Amino acid sequence: MHHNIYLRSSDFLFLFTSIYFCPEFLKAKCLMNCEVALILERKYEQLQQMSDDPVNQVSQVFEKSLQYVQRFSRYKNPDAVRQVREILSRYELAEFELCVLGNLCPETVEEAIAMVPSIKSRGRVHDDEAIEKMLTDLSLIKKFE
Amino acid sequence: MFLKVQLQWNVIIPSESLDAKGLALQKAIVVRLLEDFSTKKATKDHGYFLSVTTLDSIGEGRVRQHTGDVLFPVTFSGLTFKIFRGEILEATVHKILKHGVFLRCGPVENIYLSYQKMTDYRYVPGENPIFMNEKMSKIEKDVAVRLMVIGTKYMEAEREFQAVASLEGDFLGPV
Repeated sequence: MHHNIYLRSSDFLFLFTSIYFCPEFLKAKCLMNCEVALILERKYEQLQQMSDDPVNQVSQVFEKSLQYVQRFSRYKNPDAVRQVREILSRYELAEFELCVLGNLCPETVEEAIAMVPSIKSRGRVHDDEAIEKMLTDLSLIKKFE
Repeated sequence: MFLKVQLQWNVIIPSESLDAKGLALQKAIVVRLLEDFSTKKATKDHGYFLSVTTLDSIGEGRVRQHTGDVLFPVTFSGLTFKIFRGEILEATVHKILKHGVFLRCGPVENIYLSYQKMTDYRYVPGENPIFMNEKMSKIEKDVAVRLMVIGTKYMEAEREFQAVASLEGDFLGPV
């Protein structure tokens, strides 16, 4: 080979799972269980279409992860999942913090701080009011799921 | 925690497959990458490998001297899973012993929660042993428990992570 090959993902859409929720998701380094559930479910569907025996096409790691995220996703609807990411992205949270909050869905400010103590550490801008607002916004999504 | 990572791996295409040109060769490289990804299982840095999400580029192929195979550096993004000390997560109970409980979380099979790390829970023996506290909150097989990871270990030979957990903290326990 004498040249680099730059491939567009669209060339191999049947092999890859392209999921687009929102710009924040594309930039994300940590993903929430509900986002992963949609990705792995889509991938599993693709494999079912491509092969007679999809179960043998996936690794144990994939299977166990799929089972896990299906059980531990608080949001199932893709629009709801996108909204969770968008809402949490408005607050100055580290990637990891955002995902723990999106996974565990704390109901009170006290619980949120217990789950992610770093949001209250010295120098962070979050006061209780801001955290309260964030939790309220999240709870509204659940209502409309 | 699920992570999206960008990686560069070398994919080796045997000399027999090199008659293919253009798209067929690209497909061979991609298929090989997906196979390698699937068999890799896990590394200490990235955790367990779940799925390739995007292919970013395939670099110039280099011939390997003795075999005639060609090595292609491939840059791609993938989904992985790793657990971290200090992380609070939900896991499922799969074994109850009198000194503690084993839980699983995704591909991590063994998270150990010692009786010493859930001091308000007591072991209740029987055909289906459980741990229970004064408020009748039960830790039994298949129950989901929210816990804090207090230690992790990567086992190179088995390509597996193990962890140790605690319930000492607010809002932790059966979900």
